[in-house]
Amino acid sequence: MDREQVIKALKDSGKWGHKYSFWVVYFCTGCGIIEIPPVITSRWDAERFGVIPVATPRQANLFLITGYVSLKTLRAIIRTYEQMPEPKYTVGFGSCPINGGMYWDSYNTIKHLDKYIPIDGWIAGCMPRPEAIFIAVTHLWTMIDKGMADAYKKYREQYKYYRRNQEMVLGELEWPPLYPIDEDE
Amino acid sequence: MVILLIVGSIVIGFMVGVLFLGFSRKIKARIHWRYGPPLYQPIIDIVKLFHQESVSHGFLFDFGILLSLGGAIVTLLFIPIGNIVPLHGSGGLLVVLYLMLIAPLGIALSSVEAANPNVSIGISRKFILALGYEIPFLLVALSVMTNYGTTSFVEIVELQRASHWGIISMPLSGIALLLILPVMMGMKPFDQVGAPQEISSGPEVEYGGIYLALSKIQHIYLIFIDIALFVALFMGGGSEPLTFFMKMLPIFLIVLLISTVYPRFRIEQAFNYCIKWPTIIAFLGLLLVIWR
Repeated sequence: MDREQVIKALKDSGKWGHKYSFWVVYFCTGCGIIEIPPVITSRWDAERFGVIPVATPRQANLFLITGYVSLKTLRAIIRTYEQMPEPKYTVGFGSCPINGGMYWDSYNTIKHLDKYIPIDGWIAGCMPRPEAIFIAVTHLWTMIDKGMADAYKKYREQYKYYRRNQEMVLGELEWPPLYPIDEDE
Repeated sequence: MVILLIVGSIVIGFMVGVLFLGFSRKIKARIHWRYGPPLYQPIIDIVKLFHQESVSHGFLFDFGILLSLGGAIVTLLFIPIGNIVPLHGSGGLLVVLYLMLIAPLGIALSSVEAANPNVSIGISRKFILALGYEIPFLLVALSVMTNYGTTSFVEIVELQRASHWGIISMPLSGIALLLILPVMMGMKPFDQVGAPQEISSGPEVEYGGIYLALSKIQHIYLIFIDIALFVALFMGGGSEPLTFFMKMLPIFLIVLLISTVYPRFRIEQAFNYCIKWPTIIAFLGLLLVIWR
């Protein structure tokens, strides 16, 4: 840590903490999860960036969705996302959450994940290399520095839109709305 | 003066505990042939957790975690860190034996309020383990008290300085305490309580934000206390804090190396381990002390 970083850390310790300590829920939805074990173990060592896996959404602040999202997993993804404490960051990994990828005409996968939960950034590719995760992490640092990683605020502001999209594909949701929705708009 | 000592030992305990934790992550990484996080990574984590949103599950959820942190801090005040003993006039070893159970009790009280099934499993595992390690630990404490004829920490340390270290005058008890040290600290072969892969980190499953930060700080203090207990009872304490920390380091390294290499036991295996070898050795140590 050089002098410039020390001053930065003292000025905004929260930002410093959020940047250099990503605790990740690796959501094992599809084949993308196969790239995660090399990332967190000896070969690529994500821990030197402060990125470690955690077991529960309550402790996490980065949500990595690896691979295609079927309707069944979308339900779990939404519940996991809503349980994470703010500020929370989401990254879609691989081309399947972006636009469906090779499942573009499948009857039960989601084509655009950002219609259902807000996404901070995407890692394109099928499969992306493990290095791409580090590029995403460093890019997320820049975004946090500039205050641009604010997708979780968007979720609060436009909750009605997201909830409506979720109900459109999942039918009636069995959990109450996370934020109040005024129906008379 | 006493207040100054209390604040000082709380701060020192935290700093040294954090340093040990960062050091442990670095050492673990080097053993895995990784580069590892920076030494101050635990501080970044705790700062981050204090800046996060935290979800409470009720009054006991808030109260229990504070009770647990308070219990850990109060236990720390009775243990001599070199020549710093804030509360040396009262209690001694007997009080520490009681106080060491408050921290896990507080965690149990707090996390059960969240009504997550993983929490109940974790808590029950914690108390099974506690049942396992309390028997040899009490035997060790009894043999120490019998050997030196006192329950005061300060006197035990001074008697060791007058003759020789406790590990030499009662080797079997020292070995027994060393064997249950990883169980008390909850390090790897015995981390069934907070097993992330089995029960989603057990009692900590519903903690987020400040609650998780307090729980981590409590854990840091517990690690410090357990090693300090060994150093004070069997390695002659220290004439000043620095020598004390230098003595703590090899003990921590032993426990850490074991924890890095070995995988996790199942809970009944851990319990069987606790009531078998450490208990037998501690009992023989007690017999040896009485017989002499």
